[in-house]
Amino acid sequence: MFDLIVRGGTVVDGSGQPGFAGDVAVKDGRIAAVGEVEGEARRVIDAAGRIVAPGFIDPHTHFDVQLLWDGAARPALEHGVTCVVPGNCSLSLAPIKADDRRRVVGMFQQIEEMPPEAFTTAFDWTWEDFAGYRAAIEDGLSINVAPLVGHSVIRLWVMGAAAQERAATADEITAMQDLLRECLAAGAVGLSTSFVDVDETGRPVPSRFAQFEELDALAAVLGEYGRMLQCVPEFYATDITIARIDQLAELSLKHGIPTTFSPLFDTSAVPDNAPRAIARVEEQFARGARVWPQMQTRPIDISFSLLRPSLFFARLPRWVRVLRQPLDQRLAALRDPDTVEKMVGDLGPDGGEAMMGRLIVRGGDAAPAGLVGKTLSEVARERGQVPARALIELSLENGLDVAFLSASQGHQSTDRIGPMLAHPLVHIGASDGGAHLASFSTYGDTGYLFSEFVRKAGAMSLEKAVAKITAETADIWGLKDRGRLAPGLAADIVVFDAKSIDRADELPAFDMPGDGMRYVRAARGVDTVLVNGEVAYADGGYTDSRSGVVCV
Amino acid sequence: MAELSRQRRFVTPGPDETLEQLALRALPDESPEAGADLIRSWNLHIFAMRRPPGLLLGSDVVFVEPPLG
Repeated sequence: MFDLIVRGGTVVDGSGQPGFAGDVAVKDGRIAAVGEVEGEARRVIDAAGRIVAPGFIDPHTHFDVQLLWDGAARPALEHGVTCVVPGNCSLSLAPIKADDRRRVVGMFQQIEEMPPEAFTTAFDWTWEDFAGYRAAIEDGLSINVAPLVGHSVIRLWVMGAAAQERAATADEITAMQDLLRECLAAGAVGLSTSFVDVDETGRPVPSRFAQFEELDALAAVLGEYGRMLQCVPEFYATDITIARIDQLAELSLKHGIPTTFSPLFDTSAVPDNAPRAIARVEEQFARGARVWPQMQTRPIDISFSLLRPSLFFARLPRWVRVLRQPLDQRLAALRDPDTVEKMVGDLGPDGGEAMMGRLIVRGGDAAPAGLVGKTLSEVARERGQVPARALIELSLENGLDVAFLSASQGHQSTDRIGPMLAHPLVHIGASDGGAHLASFSTYGDTGYLFSEFVRKAGAMSLEKAVAKITAETADIWGLKDRGRLAPGLAADIVVFDAKSIDRADELPAFDMPGDGMRYVRAARGVDTVLVNGEVAYADGGYTDSRSGVVCV
Repeated sequence: MAELSRQRRFVTPGPDETLEQLALRALPDESPEAGADLIRSWNLHIFAMRRPPGLLLGSDVVFVEPPLG
C-alpha cells in the first residue's frame, strides 16, 4: 500500500528526456515507483491531462525572515517551488550575536525592503548561531530550505564593528573559517558574499571589506565540504563581472567547489554584456572551473510610491535620504520648497523627463482614477510641471499613496534571453524571492519561464525547462536528494497544466507584519504541490502540512 | 588546461593601501601622481559612482589599464 499515487499524468522526470504517460507512487515521503504503477494507495491524485514533474528549486532568495512566520514562503510554493535557497548576497539571519541584530536588520531592510515590524513583532529572536536559526524555522516549514550562510554576518560575528572598516587579521580569518565550518556542519549549503550591497546608511556591507585572501581562506573550508560559493557581482559593468568570473574560477579550481554569481542581466543599453560574460564562463568551464551565472526569466519592472524607499531612486542619494525618514519628517521634507527644488534639480535640466517621463501611474491605491495608465510625462504636461515635481506634488495630494510603474527597465527581450536561458551553462535563478518587496514581485518566474519561453517563444522544450529548474539546479547545488522523479528520492512533486501554467498579474498585498506592503503574483495552472510526499498546496489553497525540511 | 582569452588586467587593494601606493605597485613606470590619475580614470565605479567617492575596499576590482578595444 502506497501513501499516495499521482496517477495518469505525463511524467516529466527532470532528466530532460521526453515526457511519458505514467504514475508516480509515494511512500514514507519518498518516491517509491515511477511508470505504470500497480497497487493501491491511501490517496490518489488524478493527473490526467497534466504534467507531473519534480518540484522546482529556486536558488536565489531572501526568505530568511519570512520563513520565521511563513513556512511556505508564500506565494513561492503555489508556483510549484518546493525548495528555496535563502541567505544570498552575504546576508543570513545567523550567526548573529544579540548585540549585532540591529545592525544586520538595517542591512536586511535595505535589501529586502521588509518593514521594521517584521523584525520586532513577527517572531522571537532567540538564537545566535546557525543551528539555532535552523531550529527556529524547521518545525514550521512546508517548503524545503537549503540555506546559505552570509559572509557579512560571519565577518561581523568575528570582527564586530571593524567588519565594516578594515581587512581581517590572520587570527580573525582563522576564526571565520572555524565559524563557517560550524555553520556548514549545522546545515548551511554554502557561503554567500557580495561585492555590491550597502547597508541602510549607504555603507558597504562587511563582505566588501574582505581581501581576496580572506575569501580564499573561506573557500578552502567550502572545499572541505564541497559546498557552494555564491556572490553578487557588479552586474552593471561587464569588465568587472568578467573579473569576478575569473576570481570565482580561481577559487573553484583551487578548492574544487561550485560557484555561482547572480544576477546576469541582458540589457539593450549594453547588448554585449551577457554574451561576453557567458563567453568567459564557457572559457572557464573548459578549464574545469565551475562558475554558474544565474539569469532570471522576468523583465525588470520596478514599482514604487513615496510611502517607502525604493530601488528606483538608488542613484539619487538626496531622494533616498528624504524617503528613508519617518513619515512625518518625510512629508515635511517633501513640503519644503527648498528641499523639493534640490530634489528636482538632481534630475538635471530636463526635470526628470528622461528618468521619470515614462513612468506609468498604477491603479490599486489612492491614485486619481483618471490618471491611472497615463505616463508621468503626460501628467506633468497637463499640470504644467516637469516630471520630478509632478511626481512629488501628485504624491503629496494623495497622501503619498500613488504607485508608479517603471516597466521593462532591462532584461525584456525574449528573443535574446530565450537562447541564453537555454544555454547549458546558464543557471536559471536569481528570482530574489522574498526581497525588494515594495519594488516588484519576486514570485512566478517559473510560471513565466513556461508561458513566455516554452509556449510563446519556443526557446526550449517543456522537458528542458523542467530540467533547468529541477535536476540541473539540484546537480549544481549538490542537492542529491532532489530534482528528479526517481525511486528513492524525496517526493517533491508538482502537478501542472502545460497549457496554462503562468504567473498572474502583479498586485499589491498587505500581508507583511505591521500591514507591510509587498507586490505579489499568484500562480496559474499549478494544481498540486507535494513536499516530501505530503500535499502542501492543492485546489488553490495551502494545506496544514509541515513536511518541509532543511536540506543539503 | 584550455587557454583564456585576454581580458582587462586588474588588481585588488592591499590592506590599508592608498591609491598612490596601489598606483606605484600596479604602474611602476608612472609617477605616483600620474599613476593615481590613470587609475582614477579607469575605475569610475570606485572614483565616481561610489559614496564616498574613492573609498577603496579590500574586495575591489581595480583596473590597471583602459578598456580593451
